[in-house]
Amino acid sequence: MHWNAKDSAIFQAQKEYIDTAIIPLTLIDGSSQGFLSAASAAEFTLSLSNMIENQFKGRIVLFPSFSYTKKQDKQTLLNDWSEEIKNAGFKHIFFITSDREWSTMEEEKSVIWIPSIPLESMDQKMKNSILEDQLRQLIPIFAKRWAI
Amino acid sequence: MSNNKVSRRQFLSYTLTGVGGFMAAGMLMPMVRFAIDPVLQKSEGGDFVLTEKKIADITEVPVRVDFTFEQVDAWYKSDVTNAAWVYKEGDEIIALSPVCKHLGCTVNWEGDPAHKNQFFCPCHAGRYEKNGANVPKTPPLGPLDQFEVRENEGFLEIGKAIPNTLV
Ligand code: FES
Repeated sequence: MHWNAKDSAIFQAQKEYIDTAIIPLTLIDGSSQGFLSAASAAEFTLSLSNMIENQFKGRIVLFPSFSYTKKQDKQTLLNDWSEEIKNAGFKHIFFITSDREWSTMEEEKSVIWIPSIPLESMDQKMKNSILEDQLRQLIPIFAKRWAI
Repeated sequence: MSNNKVSRRQFLSYTLTGVGGFMAAGMLMPMVRFAIDPVLQKSEGGDFVLTEKKIADITEVPVRVDFTFEQVDAWYKSDVTNAAWVYKEGDEIIALSPVCKHLGCTVNWEGDPAHKNQFFCPCHAGRYEKNGANVPKTPPLGPLDQFEVRENEGFLEIGKAIPNTLV
């Protein structure tokens, strides 16, 4: 499901089945060395998130990506998000990101850190097969969490 | 003399009709557009899409075949990649839609090691037989849709989705 009016109505009616929120985290880096790679990482994160949405349409709601800068306190961001998402009635929440700085928070089990792959130089077919590969590795992570 | 003059009443009635006319047009235009649009739209669904799958390579084990077509959605044209589970049943080629009939997740062939020979939906453990029939007591309430298929110079072409004809 996407975060839009139509899907949200379905979510509210089917909370028993749709119980997982996905939030892509994308870094905005204004420095001249970091700008391009941050953009490329964001592109990867968003493409992968869309794949995840497509695979798990009936169980997750994909939220718009959250863009932040280096200075913002990650722990606070995570806590605020989690609180609000719980409020909405979700049982599970996953943050998807390619920014290494979140990787230390993986033990919280909510952040899935996936190293970015530069998709911009690939054609559509290549892109799809790379993303599908990544997705396949994610399925067990979701399945495991859902099994609890 | 006074004949040529527009009386106050006439003036009012002209202007009001004018404004009313505009308002009516404003309301009608979108309605007309709605009414006409489906007719003007090409029927995208009816066309067959060529895949890269050789007919000769299809076996009785379902494999995933991707196919891409152009979708026109309001102003946007985009390439949409869709998939089908394709296998051979005797001489017949079957293509099933991977979209779970419960809430729309993507099902996988033998996605659950505990249930061989079935499609599995990872979202709420929905299951389907090979022919797409939903397994009772799992969440889905109907069988997987089927795709029309045909052959084109040895390659598989996939058409529009139709209700399952095998169940
Ligand atoms: S979406 Fe497939 S079982 Fe619920």
